[in-house]
Amino acid sequence: MPTKKKVSITKPNSPVQQRLWLMYPPKLIKQPFIWEVGHKFKVTTNIRQASVTDEIGIVCLELAGPRSEVARAIKWLEKNKVNVEPVEIGVIAG
Amino acid sequence: MKALKCRECGREYPLEATHVCEFDFGPLEVAYDYDRIKKSLTRAAIEARPKTMWRYRELLPIAGEPTVGPLVGYTPLVKADRLAKALGIRELYVKNDAVNYPTLSFKDRVVSVALSRAKELGFETVACASTGNLANSVAANAASAGLKSYVFIPSDLEQGKILNSLIYGSNVIGIKGHYDEVNRLCAEIAGKFGWAFVNVNMRPYYAEGSKSMAYEIAEQLGWRLPDHTIVPMASGSLLTKIHKGYQEFTKLGLVAQHNTHIHGAQATGCSPISVAQKAGLDFFKPVKPDTIAKSLAIGTPADGFYALKVMRETNAAADDVTDDEIRDAIKLLAETEGIFAETAGGVTVGVAKKLIASGKIPKDSSAVICVTGNGLKTLDAVNGYCGKAKEIKPSLREFEALLAHEEKVNA
Repeated sequence: MPTKKKVSITKPNSPVQQRLWLMYPPKLIKQPFIWEVGHKFKVTTNIRQASVTDEIGIVCLELAGPRSEVARAIKWLEKNKVNVEPVEIGVIAG
Repeated sequence: MKALKCRECGREYPLEATHVCEFDFGPLEVAYDYDRIKKSLTRAAIEARPKTMWRYRELLPIAGEPTVGPLVGYTPLVKADRLAKALGIRELYVKNDAVNYPTLSFKDRVVSVALSRAKELGFETVACASTGNLANSVAANAASAGLKSYVFIPSDLEQGKILNSLIYGSNVIGIKGHYDEVNRLCAEIAGKFGWAFVNVNMRPYYAEGSKSMAYEIAEQLGWRLPDHTIVPMASGSLLTKIHKGYQEFTKLGLVAQHNTHIHGAQATGCSPISVAQKAGLDFFKPVKPDTIAKSLAIGTPADGFYALKVMRETNAAADDVTDDEIRDAIKLLAETEGIFAETAGGVTVGVAKKLIASGKIPKDSSAVICVTGNGLKTLDAVNGYCGKAKEIKPSLREFEALLAHEEKVNA
């Protein structure tokens, strides 16, 4: 059943859990990005699925931590040319 | 309906507003009790019902009677002899969802299923993130059902498209930012608020609405499956659901087993699935879209993997067409059949032409082209490519002179 919640403004340090697909191009497959994310930012990483071939690396990852840290971790991954999508992938449809 | 089932691991979940498996984050799909359905869903029972998509309601994921979009579906299956001649194929049909009710696109099918189910689950607010057809359909169907709606759009969307949702009294929210950021924010909003987000937490129900297109094709062909079906691909979901629809009709004995092929069509400016299919891969690489076919411009298609699987299993092909080829195909369909399709329809007709020319669809076979939206929605795409009206003074002599001139030019 849906619940009616009073809207509260989310704070930067509110704890969040985000479910993401990471897609690595072939030249980045050897990089230990998930280990690095866990050390550079205050986030917990939890891998749920992974498939690594010569062509592409795909990882389904849960990132948990303070909201601002999760956002910084995603930005850092994108800066390193990793494609980051929500687990739903295509939320925006035509 | 029996349960929601993970497409990856097969775990079952209750029939609630949820969409991913808690174990592997695989997508959930509705599972049915086909043995029970087989007892009541016969050709005669279907034929006795009103001509809407709800005549197949046992195979659609609602528990009771439909409460949203009772008139959706059963769009014309046009026998397209003039287009068949132009493309060089024996038997061709156009499934014309450009005239679907109420918002002139196939999205009315999926939205009416999602909103009917949302009402059953007790939701009062519905939402979606969209750049076009989905937004219009959610806004219109929510208005007619008395539901509150929120439509999220990228803030730089054209004014005309925004108006098409605002007119229904929907809360339209423009989000400033890159597509990826907007996408992630919408996923977060969907998770945080207790709303029925049609293509997020209601996705398992929403996606099933697409199957009705397959059922209608089979029934309108006289209870048989076509040799070939050409389907436009954005997320790839429609293609997988057409396949599921054909399989279900076969399983229930409503049509005979037939070796049918389901081909995928994309625009060259956004063709991750078609490129992967042509390269023989079972995965796609994300792309940044750049095409006039905006309703198909999804660079990371959620069902791309499953669409590739269906094409492999049905021994089918995929191809893509350039913006110029899309415009030419829109004109060809309009000039031969009197059907004005949106850009996605141009993609499907253009790819059908290529697949017939290359022999991947043999000339001596039957094919159905799926047209999913109305050309009135994408006028900008063909503006300036259809010639100009000829102007004359209000004089019979001038009109005759014009005709004489044209006869001379065409001689």
